[in-house]
Amino acid sequence: MSHAIDVSQVMARDNVELSEGAGRGLSSFLIGVGAVGIGATIVAAFSGGPAMAAMAAHAYHTGVMAVIGFSVAAMGFVMILQQTNAGWSATIRRQFENIMSLMWVGGLLFVVDLVFQYLMTGRHVYIWDWMNAAHTAGDQLYEHKKGYLNVPFFAVRCIAYFIIWFILSRMLWDASVSQDSDGDKWRTAWARTVSAPGLLLFAFTSAFASFDWMMTLDYHWFSTMFGVYFFAGSMVSMLSLGALVLITLRAFGRLHGAFTDEHLHDLAKLIFAFTVFWAYISFSQYFLIWYANIPEETAWMLKRKVGPWEWLSWLLPIGHFIVPFLLLLPRPMRRSRKAVALVSLWLIAMHLFDLYWAIRPEAQVEGDPTVLGPNVMDIVAVLGPVLVFVGVLVRKVGSGPLIPLKDPRLPEGLSHKNYV
Amino acid sequence: MAHDHGSRHGSDSGGPLWGVMAEFHDPAALSRAAEHVKQAGFSKWDVYSPFPVHGMDEAMGLKPSKVTMVMAFMCIAGFASAWLMQWWMGEVDYPIAVAGKPLFAWEQATPILFELSVLFSAFGALFGMLMLNLLPRWNHPLFGKPRFLRVSDDRFVMAIESNDPKFDEGSVRRMFESLGGTHIDRVEEGA
Repeated sequence: MSHAIDVSQVMARDNVELSEGAGRGLSSFLIGVGAVGIGATIVAAFSGGPAMAAMAAHAYHTGVMAVIGFSVAAMGFVMILQQTNAGWSATIRRQFENIMSLMWVGGLLFVVDLVFQYLMTGRHVYIWDWMNAAHTAGDQLYEHKKGYLNVPFFAVRCIAYFIIWFILSRMLWDASVSQDSDGDKWRTAWARTVSAPGLLLFAFTSAFASFDWMMTLDYHWFSTMFGVYFFAGSMVSMLSLGALVLITLRAFGRLHGAFTDEHLHDLAKLIFAFTVFWAYISFSQYFLIWYANIPEETAWMLKRKVGPWEWLSWLLPIGHFIVPFLLLLPRPMRRSRKAVALVSLWLIAMHLFDLYWAIRPEAQVEGDPTVLGPNVMDIVAVLGPVLVFVGVLVRKVGSGPLIPLKDPRLPEGLSHKNYV
Repeated sequence: MAHDHGSRHGSDSGGPLWGVMAEFHDPAALSRAAEHVKQAGFSKWDVYSPFPVHGMDEAMGLKPSKVTMVMAFMCIAGFASAWLMQWWMGEVDYPIAVAGKPLFAWEQATPILFELSVLFSAFGALFGMLMLNLLPRWNHPLFGKPRFLRVSDDRFVMAIESNDPKFDEGSVRRMFESLGGTHIDRVEEGA
């Protein structure tokens, strides 16, 4: 009421665009460090023994899953915003579209993952144990799952996921970016039309991808909640990454009036909500397994109660739930850019640890059931792909307008306010 | 006061003065008036409208509700009683081993811990809200004013209580007039 928005000031070029070449140095630096990390991981995998190779491969796999999770969750979020015709987010949507549009980075890193697996086959080191004929020989349970868990069908599924994700993210990206120049309002309607079936495809592909790439690392084990578990964690980390990008842009004097405390407040509410949702889902998964006490289900949890994993596991309920829950609970915290930035950074770290906790204890030396404990080198292997992704993202953010310039819902987004 | 429709109740009940009320014809006028009254330093006053007016909390300078504190306390109380109850029932009062499970464990206790925390918090929200609003009460001096009843329909009303330290009938009336208030009226304690 009293704070009228000066739209021309908000839409001024130096508010909604970064200067030419901004962030190039940072981007190159991050990509460089990430590439060195990936290189070090590969060197470690091929110079050490089979235990080292298995640990390196699983840790790298963790980083790739985090990267794919960023883009896929961002795509889901953009589709939710388009499908619900959300006005409040019109000014911040572009940053999530940027994260979404980097699907190819996840795809590329995943190919490296598969090459990794292929090269290590000769040394009998496997990310996916079910691919190892020596491992599955005479395995009753595998016999029953063979129709689904075989390399040709696995390859078909992987290709299908990526094709669906590439096409969907491309359509959403084009609809939004083409609008910047021609201002055609029907592009908004088109994005909404794409999002309805898109969300359905997103739900199935993200769930099955998490089954194929994470759950079947222990192919005896199964959890119907695993897809939602991956989705919830990826949403937390993706929203946190988006919040960090937006807060950084504000710190560089951009998005005044476009990314306000009101947008920050709502974004922090979503981070808070998905943190609680993640806690609910991951506790439910653990609780049902604990309560039913069926050997083929508990085996997975038991591996995570061996050695250092036992106390590391406690980091999840505390660090991924209680700490961010209490930090984001007071309203002033959710309206403080500094506080949200710190919690976001923490939550991304926690999500990486969550994936690490889900993937890394599956690393084993063939014929030796010992659960390999955590290793300092894993940090390098996990962060390598993530840093490459963030580096590419920095470049992407600087390459175009920071908001959808002619979105018909822009006035609603600019005047967005939380009334208690 | 002669222009009041009907004198079934109220206006000349002769009770002690409770405050002064005025009508405003739209939410924006009410917000502007609230902004002014806040700045004038009044503390015992309130506004009444048929629907929530966006930005009114800010205009009135209301602080965040204390009901969240009541809820936080009740949440902890709920959590503690759920813990105590399950531990005492399972491990002390009537220990029965079921399916080889521990008599008490945080895993099996969590759903009830969560439920009771939510239940107690909800009670805290409801009863805390009633308590902080001094509810329930049988009547309110403003209900004695037939015109006031229209705030549930199409009127926007502000009332300043006489026990406000800055209250002075004459100056409050003048202030309401200058703010564009109509039907400025004395409100007496209930008859």
